[in-house]
Amino acid sequence: MHHVLLDRWSQGASPLHRRDARAKILTLVVFLVVLATTPADAVAVLATYALLLAAAILIARLPLGSVLLRAMVVLPFSITFAIISWLAGDPWRALALVEKSYLSTVAVLLLAGTTPLPLLLGGLERLGTPRLLVLVAQFLYRYLFVLSEQAQHMRLATACRAGGSSRGRRSSFRAATGTLAVLFARSYERAEGIHRAMQARGFSERFSLLRTARFGTGDGLFLLGVSAFLVLVRLG
Amino acid sequence: MHIPDNFLSPPVWATLDAIAIPAVGLMVRQAGRELDDTRIPLLGVMGAFVFAAQMINFPVGVGTSAHLVGGALLAYLLGPAPAVLVMTVIVAIQAFVFQDGGVLALGANVFNMAVAGVLAGYWPFHMWGASWRRSAIFAGAFLSVLVSGSLALGELLISGVAMSRLMIGATLVFFAANAAAEGVITIFVLLAIEKLHPGFVQKPGASNGRILAVFSSVAIALGAVGFLLASAAPDAIERLGIQLGVTTKTVLHAPLADYTIGSFVESAWVRRATAGLAGLLLIYAVCAATARWLVRRRSV
Repeated sequence: MHHVLLDRWSQGASPLHRRDARAKILTLVVFLVVLATTPADAVAVLATYALLLAAAILIARLPLGSVLLRAMVVLPFSITFAIISWLAGDPWRALALVEKSYLSTVAVLLLAGTTPLPLLLGGLERLGTPRLLVLVAQFLYRYLFVLSEQAQHMRLATACRAGGSSRGRRSSFRAATGTLAVLFARSYERAEGIHRAMQARGFSERFSLLRTARFGTGDGLFLLGVSAFLVLVRLG
Repeated sequence: MHIPDNFLSPPVWATLDAIAIPAVGLMVRQAGRELDDTRIPLLGVMGAFVFAAQMINFPVGVGTSAHLVGGALLAYLLGPAPAVLVMTVIVAIQAFVFQDGGVLALGANVFNMAVAGVLAGYWPFHMWGASWRRSAIFAGAFLSVLVSGSLALGELLISGVAMSRLMIGATLVFFAANAAAEGVITIFVLLAIEKLHPGFVQKPGASNGRILAVFSSVAIALGAVGFLLASAAPDAIERLGIQLGVTTKTVLHAPLADYTIGSFVESAWVRRATAGLAGLLLIYAVCAATARWLVRRRSV
């Protein structure tokens, strides 16, 4: 499953994994801004960025093929709009949409694939995201897959009991409604249980990390170096 | 509709980031005031519930199925400000973990779906939820999806994505159909949840209203303007986009015009990129300063 893969990637050990989350987030923003202002016909610049991303994926010891494949989730949307732009007589924009949105997605995937989510959220918090948002995100991510699995079980159970296509639309609509209501009630109950359990363990409204985040010289050099490289390439 | 990066032009996403950050900040503050600590895990789990709920398919129409989007439902279950918070987190996790929607376009997506979508969805419930309950629920869920969609479409058009009139019409019809499905699903799910335990659903008008009313009216008005413009006069949006591009360029360039560091800043691109980055930094600084000021004022 998706999350297992991304979680496994982000647990790796490489120079990119060791960088502070803040350095990686800021570098990503610089990359995205520079990419956003690159014209579509600057083929050499875009190719350099693509090579840079590929090199970074290899340095991070992530499987190149699966990263590139996974980033294709953006393509259906991009290609649809590219076709629309092409038909409207704007082939450069069409090309730009596809290549630039793909490169952006690879870059975001690189961040997510080298930074475990708790560290990523910690970095966002230190960059000024409100703590309540970060806390909710932590809880959401922890229970996302638990509840998704529960939903899948319930869907399977409904299919087993009621049979697949023989039902009328009305009754299957009603079944889906009931499933969601029960899923909601169970989630609510689970949330109360979680809260009691966390209080019993002395939760102080803050997730503590085993690794303390430090923005060291290496992180600063990484941020400045990569940003400078990106800008120099863009200037050609 | 999650807009990926590089679909919106820089002035458009920068503006929307600048709007979304304080709007979400305000809502988070509001939610923090309304909630006690016991509800923090609840918000996270509710976010996970919305994700999971999208796996359950509802049969609608001929051979097609739809799933719940959930913005309006969350607003009825948690109250508007916590719902905005939870939807913001959902949109952000979709961008970072599932690569669904861009990072620079995060402000746009958060504004469309989490802020405008949820508030537009709550407004009818707030206004006439007590008397015409079912129609208010339906109208809210319908508006929530339609407003998010029209805003996204409007932003794409302003950014200069060229679409034929036919295509825009088809997209709007598609949004309207989706919105109607969301309305029907939301009514039935909400009634079913209420049957399990009436206390789950918020009382209409329970949340403090005035700011909310203003905010949501603005959201709905924006959505309506987007919808009307997109359906009636796409050319007007395109022209607006060109003018907007010109004015933002001059506005952004003016304060930075003196900072030409020799011949290095000859190229227009450097100026544009510096202006963009400086703009982002400025937004960030203002937000950080405001947050610090608010915290200090609160703790005194």
